[in-house]
Amino acid sequence: MRARYGNQSLEMSTMRYLLLLVPLGLAAPAAAETGPKPREVAPTYEIPFRLTDTKHVLVRVKLNGKGPFNFIIDTGAPALIMPEALAKKIGAREKDGWVLLDKLELEGGLSVPDPRGVAVDMFQLKGMNSMGLAGVELHGVIGYNVLARYRIEYDFTDTKLKWSPSGYDAPAPKRITDKGGSQGGLEMMGDLMKFLAMFSGIKPNYEVKPRGLLGAELETAGSDLAVKSVLAGGPAEKAGLKAGDRITTVKGKSVGSPVDLLEAMKKLPEGASVKLDVKRGDETKQITVELGKGL
Amino acid sequence: MRKLFVALTLLAAAGAAAADTTPARKPTAVKFDLVPSGHFIVKVRLNGKGPYNLIFDTGAPATLITPRIARDAGLTKDVKDKPPIALFGMMGSISVKEFQVGDVKAENVSAMILDHPTVKVFSDEYEPKYGKIDGIVGFPFFAQFRMTVDYAAREMTFVPSGYKAGDAMQDLTKAMMEKMMGKPEPRVAAPAGLWGMEIAKSSGDEAEGVDVKAVAAGGAAAEAGLKAGDRILTIDGRWTDNLGDAYTAASFAKPGKPVTVTLRRDGKEIKVPVSPKTGL
Repeated sequence: MRARYGNQSLEMSTMRYLLLLVPLGLAAPAAAETGPKPREVAPTYEIPFRLTDTKHVLVRVKLNGKGPFNFIIDTGAPALIMPEALAKKIGAREKDGWVLLDKLELEGGLSVPDPRGVAVDMFQLKGMNSMGLAGVELHGVIGYNVLARYRIEYDFTDTKLKWSPSGYDAPAPKRITDKGGSQGGLEMMGDLMKFLAMFSGIKPNYEVKPRGLLGAELETAGSDLAVKSVLAGGPAEKAGLKAGDRITTVKGKSVGSPVDLLEAMKKLPEGASVKLDVKRGDETKQITVELGKGL
Repeated sequence: MRKLFVALTLLAAAGAAAADTTPARKPTAVKFDLVPSGHFIVKVRLNGKGPYNLIFDTGAPATLITPRIARDAGLTKDVKDKPPIALFGMMGSISVKEFQVGDVKAENVSAMILDHPTVKVFSDEYEPKYGKIDGIVGFPFFAQFRMTVDYAAREMTFVPSGYKAGDAMQDLTKAMMEKMMGKPEPRVAAPAGLWGMEIAKSSGDEAEGVDVKAVAAGGAAAEAGLKAGDRILTIDGRWTDNLGDAYTAASFAKPGKPVTVTLRRDGKEIKVPVSPKTGL
């Protein structure tokens, strides 16, 4: 155990530098400033997002119809940035330092016109992915060259961003670098993190499992949680649960509403067994349900 | 072990951000300077001191300020955790009582004090025109607001949303601890309501969508007209290209509220409203 924790502090320190997605270098030609154009009535696209475990704003994209890939909304990045291997995989064409895409779709139904980006392996993403810190694999970031063409509304109490085209013809970003042409010597951080991850035996796990199906419609009856109906042939029916039953406890936890039960069972996958205490009239019984497939 | 936990506790204590609890009001506009590299600079005051130039970065889970302005604003005495390794002059974390961007104020915003090399590169580039760049405004600030970013107008707007930003480092420490304890459990995606259907995706099926395998009589899916053999492409705008994604999309679909499901049936795309029932 001790050896595994040995690098904790170094990992924590290293991690701080990886979290900031502010890539600087971008070999793209600068263009003249054009300024804002008059705004037309533009549609609004609702783009689903979620926060990663690292508190990055994540959206999903399809590039040339392939994906979905996980990208971070990053006003600190000059462009849409993807790893070189991904640019190759999707068959992006290279031109003047850009990679040109045939299609860039954001989840939620937005197709970005004239899509382009750059192919650069960001050390920050490499570092975070080596440990699976974000909880999902991070493929790239969406920066200025795409973001600037939209008015974007963020609300972290919601699950969607609102994007509407602003009509702004964003000039190409200008490259800035320090004297070494690097990012202030941070590039080694990604490799360092990768090394530390290997050393600590950390392996990311991005697998998503469906929660198991009980197959019961629920309602609140007074202060009780009641079964309104059971799905024909579903796990609840098979286990003997009936409409009108009151579920009082699940896994030893008392429940008084559908929300309680959903919360108590939210991490139980297909095949999991769950014990329910049930009141039926004056009778109290324990019913064990094996959760099934479905939703 | 003991030492480790002390360090972690200190990290965890570093500035939990509280949301502005003011009731909904009109958005406050903040103008920004869009610089040629595509980044933008805002004016920031820390406990009334400043203004300082910071880069506004939605890709930053933490807010950063340089030791220079931390000292200038008199914040260094409140540093809560000193890092075990002081890379780049890292001094630790603080909670800034009043963090002001333009005319927008947030309270108790957690920030790290360090000379981030990337910030230095920005500063060197833009100092002649704008003055020194002294940090990055990140998630602990902007998460507290309903925010719009409009490059065309060079303007952001902010209304407090009631969202509590918490502390990125604290959450991350927890996540990392779990990962180090060697139990990387798969995430379970729990639908928020009962659909009454089974979905499937055969191995080797790389096309978009998932198949409806069976629909339970009397369930929400049946009532909406879904049939076995339908291909579900999206649920409420979210792609459903594998089972995990379909269940994740269903985890956002609250019971009793119709969501649009895009289906492919007989080669045609159709949109069907489905209201999941309360249940699981």
